[in-house]
Formats: sequence, C-alpha cells, structure tokens
Amino acid sequence: MTQFNHTSQTSMPAVDSSRTEQRASTPERIMRQLIIRSFHVSELCTGTSFSLIKNPSAWSLTIPSDDGNYAEQLCLSDPLIQKIRILPISPAYRHIPIHSIMDIIPISVKAAGKIGEGITHTLTGVYIVLTGVDEEGTPVCAFGSSAGMLDEQISFNKAGTPGDQDFIILFDVTLRAKAGLSRHGPNAAHHACDLFCQEIRSLLKAKSGRECTESHCYQDVIRPDKKKVAIVKLVSGQGAMYDTHFLGNEPSSYEGSHSIIDITGAPILLSPNEYRDGAIRAMY
Amino acid sequence: MGIGPSTKETTLHHFRDPLLEIISGDEDFDCTGVIIAGIPQDNKNKYFTGERVGAWLEAMRADGCIVSADSWGNSNIDFANTIEQIGSRGIPVVGVSFVGTQGAFVVTNEYMDTIVDINKSEEGIETNVVGENSLTRLDAKKAAALLKLKMRRK
Repeated sequence: MTQFNHTSQTSMPAVDSSRTEQRASTPERIMRQLIIRSFHVSELCTGTSFSLIKNPSAWSLTIPSDDGNYAEQLCLSDPLIQKIRILPISPAYRHIPIHSIMDIIPISVKAAGKIGEGITHTLTGVYIVLTGVDEEGTPVCAFGSSAGMLDEQISFNKAGTPGDQDFIILFDVTLRAKAGLSRHGPNAAHHACDLFCQEIRSLLKAKSGRECTESHCYQDVIRPDKKKVAIVKLVSGQGAMYDTHFLGNEPSSYEGSHSIIDITGAPILLSPNEYRDGAIRAMY
Repeated sequence: MGIGPSTKETTLHHFRDPLLEIISGDEDFDCTGVIIAGIPQDNKNKYFTGERVGAWLEAMRADGCIVSADSWGNSNIDFANTIEQIGSRGIPVVGVSFVGTQGAFVVTNEYMDTIVDINKSEEGIETNVVGENSLTRLDAKKAAALLKLKMRRK
C-alpha cells in the first residue's frame, strides 16, 4: 500500500507534466470549411426577364423593367401588398426620394452544402434596399423613419450598407392601410422581396466557380489552448417589424427562416461559419 | 424606443459583421460561436433570455464574452440583464451598444464597466441615417482589446 502510494506520488508530477506538454501542443481542429465566391456585377440593366451574364470580364445583371407586369404579379403573393416598385439605381443617380428603409440585403445562394459549410455564391456590386410604406403614407419602420432622399439616408461604405460605387435595386413595397403595424405586413414585404431575389439566386447558383471574381475560404476552428470567447448578439424580437429571422433556406433569405419572436427570444447558437454565411435575416 | 435606422444592423451587416471578423480572426481567441438572443416584449421573457444566455456560456466554460446590441432605450433592460447574468458567473464580459448623448443607459450594474459606444454622429443622437451609428471594425477591435485586458485581470 505504501509502495503504491509512493509510486503514485512520484509518478504524478511526470504525468501532469506530460499532460501539460500535450495540451500546449494540441493542434487546431478544423471543424468545417466554407467557401464564399463573389461575382462582381458592374452593369445593372432592365429587360423582359432575369439574366446574369459575363461580358467578357464583368458580370451584367438584368432584372424585369418596372413597366412590365412582373411587379404586379409579385403583388399577388400576399393580399396585404397593394403595390411593388422595383427600381435599378446606378451610383450616379442616388438623389431620389425613398420610403423608409426596412433592410439592406445581399443576394447569395448555396452552390453546395448547407448554411455554414460548402460553397456559397454571392453577388457584389449590387444590393437590395427594401423600403416600405402603407397606402395611408405611414412608414413601415420601427423606431424612427429613414424616409427621405436615398443618398442622404444611407451612410455608404459600412458593413451593412452598399459602397459608393455599388448598384442598388430599390424594392419598394406599399402595404394596405395599417398592415405595417402587425407582423404579417412586414413579413409579406420580405416574402415578396425574397421571391424576387430567388429568381437571381437561381441564375447565380448555376454559375461556374471558375468564373467568380473572388473566392474566400473560412474555417470553423477549435483552438484548444486559447481563450474561449463567445459573441452574444441581442436582436430585435418584440413584434411587428421588430423581428429577426434565422437559418432560412438560402443565405440571408426569408423563405424557410425561423422567427426569434416565435421562440420568445430564447437564445440560439450559431457556429462562426453559419453566422457569416447569412444565417440572419434582419426583419425590422 | 428600440432600434433606430442608424444603429440597425441590416441583413448585409450580419453577413459581413466586423465583430465576428475580428474575434474569429484573432489567434489569441478560440471563438466558440455566436449566440443570437431576442429582445422580447414581455418583461418576464427578457429576464428568461438573459439567464439562458448566462447558463449557456457557463456550460461552454467560456473564458470571455462580448455582448452586442443594436438597439437602446428599453432594450437596455435586456442588455444590462444579459451582461449581469454573464458577469455574475465570473465570466469577463464586454458590452457594445449605442450610447452617445441620447442613449444613456436606463439601467446599469457592476458588470457594465467596459462598454464600447458605437455612436458616430457628432451630436451623439439617432440620426435616422442607415448605417451611420452601426458597429465598425474599430469598435470590434476596441471590444477585443478590452476583453483581453479583463480576462488578464481575472
């Protein structure tokens, strides 16, 4: 017994030491990989239908013109929508009046895998600005309206806003009177906007990765010897347009997403790659 | 009060969030993930959410945490409570939120000693200009630096 104790005591420091050495040299573990390929649009046109073509070095996006019946058809997606206007805006012509901005949305699609891993295709150089008003003129907004002139109501070149030289697709929804005051109204606007985005996503998904403008690889890494740090994002979930959706069918999409209101604001956990792959749709 | 246009994090912001870029890119950190927690209407749910966040971080054995909110006013209740729930478990925590001159905290506690103010407007107010007061890479770097200091002191 004594001998056992003695052996045990003398061997303990050696075991501890080897464990420490093992911990210090524990390699990083790569859990999953996400490749985001960007396709830079340098021409935005209107036509009879959607198209995304390379000419010959840059990408050209065509969306249906406002005078066709595409927007009218989109209005039928929800009885709370009275009118939809879809306007392509080039960087030099931003001094135009707009309704209150509900959201700014990138157009991305999974080319392979699910959100957080695999391959994502995204358009750069063009972003959707979703605006909303009701037929009585009440802005669809939370706390404070950003209605005014487009070039004055956005601080450009931020993480959440288009750059100086980017194109904007203004997706302007007019809801039925007072429809913006309950959840269904803003949801209808996001739903219609997502139907529009899905048309472009379908084209983007089919593009060859070899034709992308840039490609970035992101890894979810476990660094065993480093300080474990989490990010907590407190997001809107109070009701009406105060809502946040997560994990839709496609990156940054509305379709298939879950509402934070429906889970009474309870926390959910995303991997870094899920979050950076468009897991969040900011509804407010 | 809640989320104003200038502090609102758009879907595009979440897609390329500087906070994640800085934290996951810092090789001193093992970035465990991003917890998304709602700011509910009901007061009971506000406290419920904060407690669950605290419990989750304890279960993760987190060494540190950054809490970010893009709203202010009554959302301060959620912000302060969540920070308290994390701090009271002995986990160093740094807050990132809009303060300026208009958004002084309506509630506070002993764990809210390291806050990064994301205000950018000269007047310190909600300007209704989308993106103007939103979180930038510099704000994220300040938060990371404060957290490192706080973790070292622990």
